[in-house]
Parts: sequence; C-alpha cells; structure tokens
Amino acid sequence: MSAVTQGMLPGHAARAAPRAGWGAGAYALPLLGLMIIAFDLPILLMLAQSVLSPQPTLEHWAELGQSPVYLRVLGNTFQMALITALVCGALGYPLAFWIRCLKPRAQLVALSLVLLPFWISVLVRTYAWIVVLGNAGLVNRSLLWLGLTEAPLPFLYNTLGVTIGTTNVLLPFLVLPLVASMMKMDERLFQAAATLGASRMAIFWRVFFPLTLPAFAAGTLLVFILTLGFYVTPAILGGGRVPMIANMLDVLINVMPRWEVAAAISTLLLGATILLFGLYRMVGGRRS
Amino acid sequence: MRAGSFAAAVALAGLAFLLVPIVITIVMSFSSASSLQFPPPGFSLRWYESFFGNPRWVEALVTSALLALVSSVIALVLGSLAAYGVARGRFPGRGLLEANFIAPMILPAIVIAVALYLFLAKVGLLGSALGLVLAHVILSAPFVIMVVGVAIRGFDQRIEQIAFTLGASRRQMVLRVLLPNLLPSLASAYILAFVSSFDEVIVTLFVAGTYETVPKRMFNELVLEVNPTITAIATIMIGVSLLATLLIALISGRRGVMGSMMGK
Repeated sequence: MSAVTQGMLPGHAARAAPRAGWGAGAYALPLLGLMIIAFDLPILLMLAQSVLSPQPTLEHWAELGQSPVYLRVLGNTFQMALITALVCGALGYPLAFWIRCLKPRAQLVALSLVLLPFWISVLVRTYAWIVVLGNAGLVNRSLLWLGLTEAPLPFLYNTLGVTIGTTNVLLPFLVLPLVASMMKMDERLFQAAATLGASRMAIFWRVFFPLTLPAFAAGTLLVFILTLGFYVTPAILGGGRVPMIANMLDVLINVMPRWEVAAAISTLLLGATILLFGLYRMVGGRRS
Repeated sequence: MRAGSFAAAVALAGLAFLLVPIVITIVMSFSSASSLQFPPPGFSLRWYESFFGNPRWVEALVTSALLALVSSVIALVLGSLAAYGVARGRFPGRGLLEANFIAPMILPAIVIAVALYLFLAKVGLLGSALGLVLAHVILSAPFVIMVVGVAIRGFDQRIEQIAFTLGASRRQMVLRVLLPNLLPSLASAYILAFVSSFDEVIVTLFVAGTYETVPKRMFNELVLEVNPTITAIATIMIGVSLLATLLIALISGRRGVMGSMMGK
C-alpha cells in the first residue's frame, strides 16, 4: 500500500503514507495514560495494600478467614447472588421465549419495554419498590383496605426485599442476550421435529430447550456475577439487615476504618468476578 | 413455535414487574398527599416545587450536570481516539489493551470505588474535583470505546486508504474523513457517557468528599427516610433517560437503540 502510494506521488516520497500499525495505535495512548494513572495503578495499589501494609504480611487475609462476621457476609452475598440468579432465570426464560414467539412488530415493542429500565438509574428503580412494597406502600395499603391482613406485611428490609430489588435490576441482563440467541435458531428445526411426529411439548423440551441451554446458563451466570457487587439495593431495600460485600466495604472504609482489610476483601471480590467472567465467556461462547 | 398460555402469563408478569415501579414513581411524583398514598388523593406539583425550592437539591443538580458535562467530553475525546487506535492499530497486546479500557464497566463499581478511594487518599486528591472528574472519565470511557469502536470497524477502511493516497496525513484523515462520518455514533456515545456519569452513585459516594451530586444526595436521603420529594427528582431523571434513549434512537436511525446499546 505505502509503496504504491509513494510510487504514485513522488513528491510525497519523503513522507511515507500512514499505514495501519503502531502509528494508528498511538491514538490509544492518551486514554491509556489516563487509565494507567486513574485505574490500573489504583487497582494495583489496592492489591499491594492488602499484603504490604505496613510490612509484607498475610495477617489481613488471615483475619478474613478467622472472623465469623466476614465469613457470614461473604456467605450471605453468594447466597443472594444464587437466589437472584435462580429467580431471574425462572422469570426471564419464559419472558424471553414469549418475546421470541411474538410477531416482529410486537417483538420490537416488548424488547423496548425490557430495555427501558436499563436506562433508568438503579437508585430510582430501587426507590420505587419502597413506594410499592413499603409499610405505607401500594400493596400493603390495598391488603389492609381489603381486610386481607391486620398489619402491613414485611416485604422490605429483609432477604425478600433485596431479592425483589436485585431481580428487577438484573432481569434485562438475562432476557436480552437470551432473546438474541433464541432468535438465531432455525425455525425449520422445529418444523422437522413436528413432521417427525413430535408433540409441541416434546419439541420444546427435547429440541428447543437444550439448544438454548448455553445462552441460558451464561445469562444466569452473568446475573450471579453482577449481584456479587451490588451496593445500592441491599443498602436501601435491606435496611442494613441484609449486609453484602459491598456494604461491608463501605463500613470498613468509611466507618471503621480498616483499609487493609477492605483492600483484601475488595481484591477477593475482584478475583471472584474475573474468574467467573472467564467462565461466563467459556459457557456463552465468544460471541454472546 | 408458539408460546403456551403458561409462558405468556409468566412473561406478562415479568414485564409488569419490570415496569410497574417506574410507572408508580411517575404517578406518585404528581401526588398532592404528603404520604405515599396510592392512588394519590389529588394531583399537584408540590414535590417539584419542593425540589426546586430547596437550594441543596438545586446545587446538587448543578454539580451533577457540570460533572457529567466535563467528564463525558473528556471521555468522548480520549475514548474516540483510543477506539480508533484499538480498531486500526496492529500491535501486540491489542486485545489486552481493549480489555483494559472496557474493564471499568465490567468490574463491580464497589471494587473501583475502594481502589480509587485508597489511591486518591494516598495522593491527597480525595474529595477534590479533579479526583471526581478522573473517576467519572474512566467509568464513562468504556461506553465511548464500545459504541465508537463498533462504528469504526463498520466504516469502510478503503475510504481511509483513499485519503492517505491523496496525501492526507493520519491526523487529517481522522479529523476530516473519519470523524465527520462517525458523527451519529459519536453523538450516541456522548449521550451514553453523559447519562452514565449523571446516574453514577457508588464511586461518587466514596470519592466525592463534600461534593454532592443528585444520585449521592438521593441515596443519602433514601437510607434515612422516605421523602416524596425524591419521586419528583426520580421522575425528572426518568425523563432525562427517556429523552436520551429517544435521541439515540433518532440518531442511530434504523439500527435502533438495541443496536447501539448492545454493540451490534
């Protein structure tokens, strides 16, 4: 390419025409510089702080394994992530399947509606649940008015409340890729199964469902990963009773302060996320 | 294949579950009652008046808007250049570089918040405007990298080569050939970066010091008490988000919001 260019434009021979290569790559340098200073360096410092402060030591990590408080919060977080992933899966699969079976125009509307909450701040969506499910909220007022219950039901400030909040935020993350993978499937496959005498149930469970399993598993895993780092939802809908890793980090940084332990826990969360994300890429395939 | 009535029922419940909170918040923000009564006994603009009548909320709104404006411009400029470098450069470690740029979007915000807190405290920038802007830039840049990166890869490279053949330097080609052709994607990327900065709460809570943004103030109020004024600001934020979605849909035309969001 450059040889041709120089041949055609002898006057420009001194200045070689730009080629794809290091030259173009240089355009990434300003952001790289900023990222190194404001992202990579802080992450590395955090890793260092968990093992080097004040001198090389593993005591901050040992403290994690020994203290029942930390272990309980870690267990609690993984439990919340598991519950959220299961609920999202149970609700999201039928939703994705239903959207796939809609006519194209209705499909577009349904997809836009699923995408809509994506655009609205997690804070706003979390807040809305207080309006709906709080003691003075819509549901409890209706139940009291109908005489179905004597006292407001405790929907919020417990595991149930946090599950409702996390599921609400993460459901689109499962549904959208799942719909995309379902739409890629060849309709003739099911026609062939029907021709061969399979019932509708048999076609769904023995042809359709197994083919969607990788995308389904990947989506559920993604929800699990994303739940691990949740902070806003447990803080607001858990009312301090459902502490998760992120909320514990807040306490260790802003209240206690135990920065070295916070650095260790944060590193642990970082490692778990990267590990699970690698698994997610493997399960879902490169393209999902 | 057709969905059975069971799947349809669960699907509609799921859809309602996603949308009901948004609808209720909007309706409640126009309520005339001071309790969270639904349906509201009457309608009024008192919560909007209470929001705009409170100097602390207005100040938070100004801070949020300024912060989003500054950080999204920086993210757009640096992110677009980097997207070009990653898409057209041929050098070892390119995939790793791109992963590094996208990482702040994938890692839990709380990990970034802790890392930045410890780092900014060490260099004495905790609670400074500079630290806050830096944090928001690295959080918004991935959106720019993704949207602009997809657009550059979809741009016919032969057009770039023709510009070089005609004697353009790389800078001239990028500024006068590539960027004008990518304007719609750049606009979408900017809106995404702006909204993501405007909505950001976790990292801001950790590093903002005495600066108060709207999400930070909302969060701190929500932890303490349920104040209906928040339904008003929540509705304003929903409005801004919907407007942004609409703008992106209009800009990206047929590709639609799905396409520009999911990078297809």
